[in-house]
Amino acid sequence: MKISPPRIWRERYNYYMLRITQCLDCGRASYPTSLTCPYCGSSNIRTVNSSGLGEVITYTISYFRIEGQEDEVPKVIALIKLREGAIVLGEVVDVGLSEIREGLEVEAVLRRLKIDGNSGLIWYGMKFRPIIGAGIPT
Amino acid sequence: MTSGKPYAGILGWGVYIPRYRIKAADIARMWGFDLTLVKSLNIEEKAVASVDEDATTMGWYASHQALIRCNVDVNDIGAVFVGTESKPFAVKPSATVIADALGIPHRRLTTDMEFACRAAGEALRISIALVSSGMVNKSLVIGSDTAQASPGDVLELTAGSGAAAYVVGPREDSVAYFEGSFSYVSDTPDFWRRDGVPYPSHGEIFTEEPAYFNHIINSVKGLMEELGLRPNDFDYAVFHQPNGRFPLRVGAELGLSREKILPGLVTPWIGNTYNASALIGLAKVLDEAKPGQRILLVTFGSGAGSDAFSILVSDKISESAGRALRVTDFLMNKIYIDYGTYSKLRKLLERL
Amino acid sequence: MLSSNTYIISSALIRVGRYFNKSYKDLIRELVAELNKDLPIHDYIDYVVVSNVFSDSILEQLDISTMIIQELNLTPKPAVRVEAGESSGLMALKYAHSLIKSGMTSTVLVIGVEKLVEYPTTVVNKYMVRLLNSDVEGRYDIVTVNEAALLMKLYMKKHGHSREDLTIWPIKMHENAVNNPYAQLRNRITKEQVINSQIISDPLRLFDVHPLGDGASAIVLTNNKELMSKVGTGCVELIDVLHASAPPLTHRSDLLSLPASKYLFSKLGNYGVDLSDCVLEIHDSYTILAYLIVEELGLSDRGKAPYVVTDIKNINLSGGLKARGHPVGATGVYQVAEVHRLLTSGLGSIKLNNSWGLVHSMSSIDNNAAVALIRRCG
Repeated sequence: MKISPPRIWRERYNYYMLRITQCLDCGRASYPTSLTCPYCGSSNIRTVNSSGLGEVITYTISYFRIEGQEDEVPKVIALIKLREGAIVLGEVVDVGLSEIREGLEVEAVLRRLKIDGNSGLIWYGMKFRPIIGAGIPT
Repeated sequence: MTSGKPYAGILGWGVYIPRYRIKAADIARMWGFDLTLVKSLNIEEKAVASVDEDATTMGWYASHQALIRCNVDVNDIGAVFVGTESKPFAVKPSATVIADALGIPHRRLTTDMEFACRAAGEALRISIALVSSGMVNKSLVIGSDTAQASPGDVLELTAGSGAAAYVVGPREDSVAYFEGSFSYVSDTPDFWRRDGVPYPSHGEIFTEEPAYFNHIINSVKGLMEELGLRPNDFDYAVFHQPNGRFPLRVGAELGLSREKILPGLVTPWIGNTYNASALIGLAKVLDEAKPGQRILLVTFGSGAGSDAFSILVSDKISESAGRALRVTDFLMNKIYIDYGTYSKLRKLLERL
Repeated sequence: MLSSNTYIISSALIRVGRYFNKSYKDLIRELVAELNKDLPIHDYIDYVVVSNVFSDSILEQLDISTMIIQELNLTPKPAVRVEAGESSGLMALKYAHSLIKSGMTSTVLVIGVEKLVEYPTTVVNKYMVRLLNSDVEGRYDIVTVNEAALLMKLYMKKHGHSREDLTIWPIKMHENAVNNPYAQLRNRITKEQVINSQIISDPLRLFDVHPLGDGASAIVLTNNKELMSKVGTGCVELIDVLHASAPPLTHRSDLLSLPASKYLFSKLGNYGVDLSDCVLEIHDSYTILAYLIVEELGLSDRGKAPYVVTDIKNINLSGGLKARGHPVGATGVYQVAEVHRLLTSGLGSIKLNNSWGLVHSMSSIDNNAAVALIRRCG
């Protein structure tokens, strides 16, 4: 067993939703959630669900290969700035290698993050895909 | 089986169609089918779920769209049903993942249903009953499938991937309400998949007259008799779409013209999305329907059964259509892939 | 007689490489044989500190430090393994230094060892993911090379560099490694080879990335002055080992800054370190990181590092992580051993007269960073 049942259960809302910390003092948003604002240290914060919408700051097309995950390469990995201001690292899926670009508008979507062999759990969580109408010719 | 007095309607709808498409002709060439067969099935291409997608993830997206469209408070949703025959887990519901991921409270009915391609249709009828009886305020019904077909089987030409979701709630809040519904079910072994087997088997031509046609015709006739309606009373007819041909043929037998069927016919461009098939067709019709129009929705599931619904579009439809993605947005948003990529995405190749 | 200072009196290295026919124990036996040339370590070592990152994942071995003690017949001497990601080597050094400074122990053997080529690369790659946050990067199997690629793109865009502009570092490292007998890649390379090598994570290519190799290295730390004359061919003083941490990449106001390293470099003035009279070993796991480190050190203006690294002398004379190699848990110990050699008996044919040595290490993109300050004796 490689995927821990308690772990994906305990953290499911953090995986299934893009929950961010909004600082009520400095106003900045951060991801993932934390007890204090990572920017100003304030504990005057609230946890909210992000709209899931954001844009690609920069990206890399990765050919880094990991045993058992050959069907996921090449993989597009990006730094994404959410509308709420938080910066997240994520995988961009359903994007052609010639379509991915800086500034591409993306939305958070529920996908399989990992699968534990043939008999273990499936771990679901947020990835990103281009929003329909993001300027990609169809 | 008759419907009693429904007091429920559709508050919101949403669909999901994966971006990847493979041309049916590419599959035919791969396995040596004559292209005439492809033409006779009226199938141009089919949608292919990506490597990290399954009935749960697609169902989530469709539900997310449905909720955006109707903007209901998730706290009011008392039931979540997922109709699928491609459950990622044999044991462990998809509906619980989707419901928690959408933030729907835990005090709810939540279950996966299986009846080949019509489990979601039956979930719709159950939801009508739940809402009409007042047992739940709103119900979320999802049909989602990464349709399986054994490589080289004729079924592979059509088996696609997609999802549709409907929020069913009180009639007065609805954009289209159910006038009535009717089910017709018998033990008919036209198509099956044994436990632990990855791909379904089917009786080929036996899936036609005794199965698809017989059950659909009986459910539609039952519905019309009960409501006192005739084919001409319907502006649109949406049938389960195993291929691009059967819906037109069954429509003709029922006296429903091509013009009423074509707006909701999506299989030629996305394939048979099993539990989502008729429901994506309905969504496409709702995207363009006008207040006062009447829609016939007919599901079919092998094994076999069919549910027919008469749906009357209300005034609220106009403001709903533009609030979330339309079916045509998904139909146009596509990346073509070859058979090799398709096999990779759908895990048709056995890796060590 | 004990000094209030701590000295590195001896070092041993094996060439980083693919030791298919040797276990980690074999590699350590070779190190010890070299150390024993002066005086058997049994006679003077009080404590062993082992730096290793992947023993549990690759070797399926916990408590590797005890296994090493048993292998070397050093019982009942105590041993401990230290792990702090890619900074493990310097953290082992810090642990050893602390034992001595606190007066608990007098002489400590620090061993860095890593076996990376026990499995195919795709298997080792799986474990590389674990160097990052399993809740953040881990869910997507994002690795440091991906983050380095993101930073390289930002850097190229911000400062208007072409991909070709950034090839100078790996070329320089391969050039340096030619003279280091312990380097994994001792061949010169050309700009064309760099920009035409296989893409690992666009725009990072194979020649921008440290190779995978096995490695083992050791140093002996002591405050026992008598030992200094009996052991080794020269000593250097270990002034201090500094350690700091940084916020995750996505929380940094300037993505092209290395906050932990920057913080440590800001402390150098307190020690009177003169960078112009210093041998530098920096953590150039990926080309872009070398430029960012050089800029954080103040050796270049922001965005100008690719133009000035040619003129920076005495930086990564070992060939750096790029060419000496990066046997992860062993790397920091290699760097310190190399500086020890450079300032004493020489590393291969290279011998320097500098007064200072500075070893810099960091884990992933500066998640944590460490600096060891070394000074020539007398």
